Amino acid sequence: MVTQGTLHMTEQKRRRLVAFNLRDAGTLFGLLAISGLFAVLAPDFLTLHNLINILQQSSINACVAIGMTLVIIGGGIDLSVGASAALSAVLTAMMMAAGVPLGLALLAGLGIGLACGYINGALISYAGLQPFIVTLGTLSLYRALALIVTGGNPILNLPGNFSNIFNASIGILPVPVVIVIVLSAIVWLVLRKAPIGEYILAAGGNEEAARVAGVPIARTKITTYMASGALAFIAGIILVGRLGAAEPVLGNLWELNAIAASAIGGASLMGGKGSIIGTLLGALVLGAMSNGLILMNVQAFYQLLATGIIIIAAMLVDRFTRGRA
Amino acid sequence: MSNTPDKPRLAMRDIGKTYGAFAALSGVSLNVGAGEVHALLGENGAGKSTLLKILSGIVAPATGSIEVDGRPLHGHSLANARRSGIAMIHQELQQVPELTVAQNMFLGRPLTRAGIILARAPMRAAAAATLAKLDKSIDPDAKISTLRVAQRQIVEIARALLFEARIIAMDEPTSSLMPAEVEKLGAIIRQLASTGTAIIYVSHKLDEVRRFCHRASVLRDGRLVGTIALADTTEEQIVTMMVGRDLSHEVHPCASTGEVVLDVRGLSWKDRVREVSFTLHRGEILGIAGLMGAGRTELLHLLAGLETPQAGEIRLGGQVVRLRGVRDAIRYGIGLLPEERKKEGILPLRSALSNAAITSLGAYSRQGMIRSGRLRADVMELFRSLHLRPLDPDKPVRLFSGGNQQKIVIARWLLSGVKILLLDEPTRGVDIGAKNEIYRVIRELAASGHAIIVVSSELPEILYISDRVAVMRNGRMTATLERDAMSEETIMQYAARDTRVEETA
Repeated sequence: MVTQGTLHMTEQKRRRLVAFNLRDAGTLFGLLAISGLFAVLAPDFLTLHNLINILQQSSINACVAIGMTLVIIGGGIDLSVGASAALSAVLTAMMMAAGVPLGLALLAGLGIGLACGYINGALISYAGLQPFIVTLGTLSLYRALALIVTGGNPILNLPGNFSNIFNASIGILPVPVVIVIVLSAIVWLVLRKAPIGEYILAAGGNEEAARVAGVPIARTKITTYMASGALAFIAGIILVGRLGAAEPVLGNLWELNAIAASAIGGASLMGGKGSIIGTLLGALVLGAMSNGLILMNVQAFYQLLATGIIIIAAMLVDRFTRGRA
Repeated sequence: MSNTPDKPRLAMRDIGKTYGAFAALSGVSLNVGAGEVHALLGENGAGKSTLLKILSGIVAPATGSIEVDGRPLHGHSLANARRSGIAMIHQELQQVPELTVAQNMFLGRPLTRAGIILARAPMRAAAAATLAKLDKSIDPDAKISTLRVAQRQIVEIARALLFEARIIAMDEPTSSLMPAEVEKLGAIIRQLASTGTAIIYVSHKLDEVRRFCHRASVLRDGRLVGTIALADTTEEQIVTMMVGRDLSHEVHPCASTGEVVLDVRGLSWKDRVREVSFTLHRGEILGIAGLMGAGRTELLHLLAGLETPQAGEIRLGGQVVRLRGVRDAIRYGIGLLPEERKKEGILPLRSALSNAAITSLGAYSRQGMIRSGRLRADVMELFRSLHLRPLDPDKPVRLFSGGNQQKIVIARWLLSGVKILLLDEPTRGVDIGAKNEIYRVIRELAASGHAIIVVSSELPEILYISDRVAVMRNGRMTATLERDAMSEETIMQYAARDTRVEETA
């Protein structure tokens, strides 16, 4: 009897694992299909150098998109990620240029990113405003602050050791890629294993029921926006490190690419559903496509066209495969 | 009263429908005469809604035929059914809240001039004339959103009449009506029948069915168990037909120990709850009866920390406590099974396990990580003792039946160790077999020392489950009845006195 029960449970565990991976497998299949296509069309596509290049190019969007996925699962949206990244990165760069020690400046920048997220979350949770409108407002606000503090000019004379970090590699992987892998693993673990992960899924899936069940709704939502703000800062600082300069206009339209990666990866804008692995794969789909088209010397206009087609195709596949599993 | 003419108005013959390997209906035949009110009975999943969907053209049957006044219906579509004079009043009314009554009545098939210009005045006049036959108090120019559910239902019926429906099917029309409104609907149904309309009436409430209907057809597991004349059949016989077995109605022993766990004094909130005082004992099941809007749900919300009382005090085990939120209430051992399961109860996308665990995650975590092995074992033990079916903790909760969803929410509170359970309409939308399961669970919880408050709009349920009944009316607690004083008549007396005065207020 007991062994039967245990067998039954492991069987269910396996089923759950399979079910969990089915959507991600779909995204992976999409990524492989696109890669296969470019491998044929663009001879240089399938080289180790280029594949690492794709990881490198996708890392910034992936970083922003992980945070975006958390917010979306929690039933919200964060349009201010690009502006949060710009504000926090620019202020960090100004501190570094003024001689503040590297670690301290980065820590302060992280604090600014968290604060940007906290303001979003607090306006949504305590004042009861709609996430779309709040973050649309703070998008302008944070961007304006970044432009005001810099007077619109890039911050240039950054310490050399700072840029060296982000242009270095660990083994064959560039540092930004390693950072994103580590961050993703942490977020994935939190979402699956920590109470806050269950709270985010619950609050996004049915906020009213979650409240009755005792889920701390405000704290949960604010946490997602703060995570989004922090990850936006890290993405911003990776870009500044790569370029060696902090532009106050950096991060323009990042929110759209991040939402696209989340959606391709299976996040539902209705909340309550999403996958970190899916989002990473989604970012790689977008990265691989842009890389492949560049290799083929296709005009940028067509890259935009392809992005649009991929998003809609992913949603259609989603729509028509639901309920079959 | 008996009304079975030679040629039925509606004849459904040998209707069958399968979904994959599952036979939702097989060999069901149904005759309804002109002027007959015919009840369609059965537990959830018995095939009632599939039959209604086939009748109204939403679903095509796999086998069988439908005749209206002897003429066979060719091709199954909504438009075809409508043309043959079949109208359906859905449980969830399908109306546009921001349009007027008259606009809603002509929705989808407006009168026009020259085919393109809306003929507003004639539409309004026709709507007003039809409405006047049913209820003169409804203004054809009022927005639907300003009407009560009962009035919106009458608008739907008027819409059916406007298009000369000869067969009207009503799916649980009284599920959210007050007693006076139910009577009014009954009068309208009688009026419709007297003009020759055939009415199919789906309801779980057997007393209404017996008052409004002539005959009843009982479905079970997709088959017709039988068609009976209601005048010759007892309620027990009907239930036995629906469930397929006798349901025992033994009187249970009261498990109350007399130890006061909850003592409420002068609790008030926004005129919805007025100076309510009562006590609750360990092991006791306290029923709270009352009409809709009497303040019962609001009282439970105050006790569960969803709202903050404006006056009065709550004492738990002799200590005055302030509940500043749900989490406070949970900390003091109070849990709520909310009235609207889908909206406030379950997390539909999450598994049964996640749903049961959500309140207790903190207690099952070490260093910020959930100890999933222990959590899973404890939840499984609770699911087993509650007889959850199917016993699959990883299945999304939305795929469980209503009764099992309730068990999952109850498991959530048991896991978190609450001592006081507030159950708001625990068997709403749950079929009869599952209701008995829930009653059994409530009893067992009381016997194991939980104190339980049950709010229910069904008096037989209140009488069956409660050790004591408190009655609320217009925010006040008007009576507390011990078991020997409990009866439907006494409860109604305290629940409904002076309703006329209050309704106009």
